Amino acid sequence: MIPDIVAAIVLGLLAIAVVLAVVRVAMGPTAGDSAVAADLIFFAFIGIVAVFGLQFSIDAVIDIILIAAVLGFLSILSLARLLQGGQR
Amino acid sequence: MNADILVTVFGSALLILGAAVITSAAVGLVKLPDLYTRTSAVGTAAGLGVALIITGVVVLDFSVLNLIKGLIAIVAQLLTSSIGSFALARAGYLTGSRPVSTTVPDELAESAAHNTLGRSGEDTVHKGQAD
Repeated sequence: MIPDIVAAIVLGLLAIAVVLAVVRVAMGPTAGDSAVAADLIFFAFIGIVAVFGLQFSIDAVIDIILIAAVLGFLSILSLARLLQGGQR
Repeated sequence: MNADILVTVFGSALLILGAAVITSAAVGLVKLPDLYTRTSAVGTAAGLGVALIITGVVVLDFSVLNLIKGLIAIVAQLLTSSIGSFALARAGYLTGSRPVSTTVPDELAESAAHNTLGRSGEDTVHKGQAD
């Protein structure tokens, strides 16, 4: 569906992003920094799923992206609640 | 045939641009000095990058149904990434993550101090009336 070189470039960029975010998770002085990095890993993962879906001509790729975009912020909201110890 | 090539080039450019924006957010995540600047980098850049990638997918795999789903996904992404960043930065502030020392106006601390003063002032006024 898309040229192989484009898929390689996009996956390479997103892989660099995930590696840098993992570095921040390992280094992060507070739990909040690790949570921000986890948020970025989720966003990069949406991109990786999109490229694989296009490359293998999977019809459901836009549905997967839609669900991930609509419900993805719940993970970071729950991490924020967790940081505050369940208080508002 | 020609239009096909144009669509492929345009969609591929959108995909690469979105991935580059997400990677720039990751570079900011490593290089920026404190939690709030990192949250800012991820919240703005990653939300925009995912929106660009969704646009690229819709361009490459076009149908009216995909266009509607893509628009819903982009609007939801742009709305909710900012909510997530806000909640996370607020949680970091409440749990005592200090901003970098070059942050000059700390308006949250000032308004918190002001609120406490105002509340104690009200209390004394109320006590005075009761007496």
